[in-house]
Amino acid sequence: MTTQRTVLHLACLALVVLVAGACSMSTSDAGTTRATAMAEPGGGNDWTTYHGTYQSWHYSPLTQINTDNVKRLRVAWVHHPGRSTRGLQSTPLVADGVLYYTGSYSRVWALDAATGKPLWSYFPKLNDDLVAAQTHSPYTRGIALGQGKVFVGTVDGRLIALDMKTGQPAWDTKLVNSEKLTVGFTGAPLFVKDKVVIGAQGGEWPGRGPIFGVDAASGRKVWEFFTVAGTEEAMKTWGGESWKTGGGGGWMAGGYDPETNTVWWGTGNPAPLYDWAGSDWKTSGPRPGDNLFTSSIIALDPDTGKLKFYHQELPHDAWDFDSAVGEFVMLERDGKKLVVHPNKGGHVFVYDRKDASVVNVWQLAKNINFVRGVDPKTGALIGRRDLPLGKHTNLCPAIAGGMSWNSGAYSPKTGLYYKIGQEWCMDLEVIKTTPVLEPQAQLDIGANFTLRNPEGAKAHGHLSGRDPVTGAKKWEVMFPEPPLASLLATGGNLVFVPDPRGMLRAYNAETGQELWSHNNGIGHNGGIISYAAKGKQYIAVATGWGSLVGDEFGALFGEPYKSMPKDSGAIVVFTLE
Amino acid sequence: MRHILAVAVAVTLMATVVSAQERSRTQSAAVPSTDDALDGEKLFGTLCGFCHQGGGRVAGRGPKLAGTDRPDEYLLNRIRVGKEGAMPAYGRAFSETQLRALIAYIRSLKDDQ
Repeated sequence: MTTQRTVLHLACLALVVLVAGACSMSTSDAGTTRATAMAEPGGGNDWTTYHGTYQSWHYSPLTQINTDNVKRLRVAWVHHPGRSTRGLQSTPLVADGVLYYTGSYSRVWALDAATGKPLWSYFPKLNDDLVAAQTHSPYTRGIALGQGKVFVGTVDGRLIALDMKTGQPAWDTKLVNSEKLTVGFTGAPLFVKDKVVIGAQGGEWPGRGPIFGVDAASGRKVWEFFTVAGTEEAMKTWGGESWKTGGGGGWMAGGYDPETNTVWWGTGNPAPLYDWAGSDWKTSGPRPGDNLFTSSIIALDPDTGKLKFYHQELPHDAWDFDSAVGEFVMLERDGKKLVVHPNKGGHVFVYDRKDASVVNVWQLAKNINFVRGVDPKTGALIGRRDLPLGKHTNLCPAIAGGMSWNSGAYSPKTGLYYKIGQEWCMDLEVIKTTPVLEPQAQLDIGANFTLRNPEGAKAHGHLSGRDPVTGAKKWEVMFPEPPLASLLATGGNLVFVPDPRGMLRAYNAETGQELWSHNNGIGHNGGIISYAAKGKQYIAVATGWGSLVGDEFGALFGEPYKSMPKDSGAIVVFTLE
Repeated sequence: MRHILAVAVAVTLMATVVSAQERSRTQSAAVPSTDDALDGEKLFGTLCGFCHQGGGRVAGRGPKLAGTDRPDEYLLNRIRVGKEGAMPAYGRAFSETQLRALIAYIRSLKDDQ
């Protein structure tokens, strides 16, 4: 143990030079560790926020598990939460030797991170009628830690704070009128300074998609920002009263830039999802105009909720290729502070962090025809394929996107960004719809559609290691079906990919060579992290299948997905034997 | 014929299952009472086509509905109550008229794919 710790400390010391990050295998002052881990690149022993750190790297600097010894990685412990309806889609967090996670029905567990021994659990009482009425119910994708509390959202519109040591509720605040709107929270909150920031479901739900800032100490709502018509300027981009049922939302946790005190958040698509106005969308149809701030990235002041600036990645999104993907990969290049954000349509946008001006746009998914391209200098869409009333064939990507909501990873060691691309298309018939309100019925789609293979190829996925700013590809690995889980990069020069068939695979981060795999027995559709406890490095992955994108796999790919359970899932934790 | 049968079944159900909750639901249904709003195809494309793909003609996230041998009563119950983790319950949101329109639409689908 002493030798391991010494080696690790040396490795960490080297890494600190590179990334100025915190890295220690010893237990240190709890508050300082958590604050440092959230704010600085790397994350050290812990994994204290959904994206690893505020920089969204999904990277652990730990090196005990590395390219030389990963073949000795074995299961250390497993935890089954029970009632994993739609699989375990969440990302666990670790602080000071305790692993916290949530799953379906917002159940929260605290476990000894070294052994998996349960320390406490909390099962909130939910409104069963609302749970039953929701399309995306009942999963919860993550939690936040701060001020000695665990924060979790619920699908019936509440944000709950639990004492980290005991699991006892500190406060329970109702933020959304879910009884009327039939939406709540499925995404992870983000703890920033003294606030908890969380976004409601949105997209093709005909509401206004609010994001909230809540006082972490008391649970009092401090601010609310509407992603649909949240400013006077934005209101003018919605014809008539279409803003009242505009959709939007911010259902994935974003990032935070402490230097500018800016929260970065991605927003969902407008409703209805498809627009029968076709190319006349500026003046007619169900939601004439650009529809701000849907399918946008927005920069908010965490203290007030005021909008600082924004960029709309898809003005008048008519394809459900939203910007809700939560990762905002923050890095520096040539003296410029940048943020990299993938859009569901298959392009990756690179912004200047000072004002969200576009620095570059590059293409990750190969089968894209909803636009001919995106101007890399301005981000403007070139050659839109708007879809008027009637039948259309071979729209690419399919509604499931060129990228999905789970996150990629960035390694400061290799300088590469690792990300999954999805290749599939669909045929559709656009139809006129009427939203069902009072109480609101979930979804306002505006089309019937069927997924299909791209022309000349089978639907598939790929993992690539790329320059995050230029998109230049260093290596690529193909998958017969797109992996849907988040990725993990580590200081041990590894990239972990939990795949949909149930295999967890480790690749050499420099070359893409597969070095290790393990069969978890069910598909992956959640998060993966690395942490250290009692001198050992661990890899923890969420297993379980059943998201809405995963639901497509049975019809498209057949087995093993047709018979894969959608009511199971566990946290599986690995360490070196 | 199927359309008539669907309407008959729905009317029977409506007459026999009159809970306070359903009365409230029927009264509060807020879809405008226009011909368009009663159109089952439109309602299907608003809410159901997300999972029952090709307008219910092919399997996707949800099962194919064209040619289903499930009785109307089964379909009505599934739409109202849903299926945990798979299909939302629309009992809070749909009026009996809307439910009838949906069943009529499903029965009108040709099973040719």
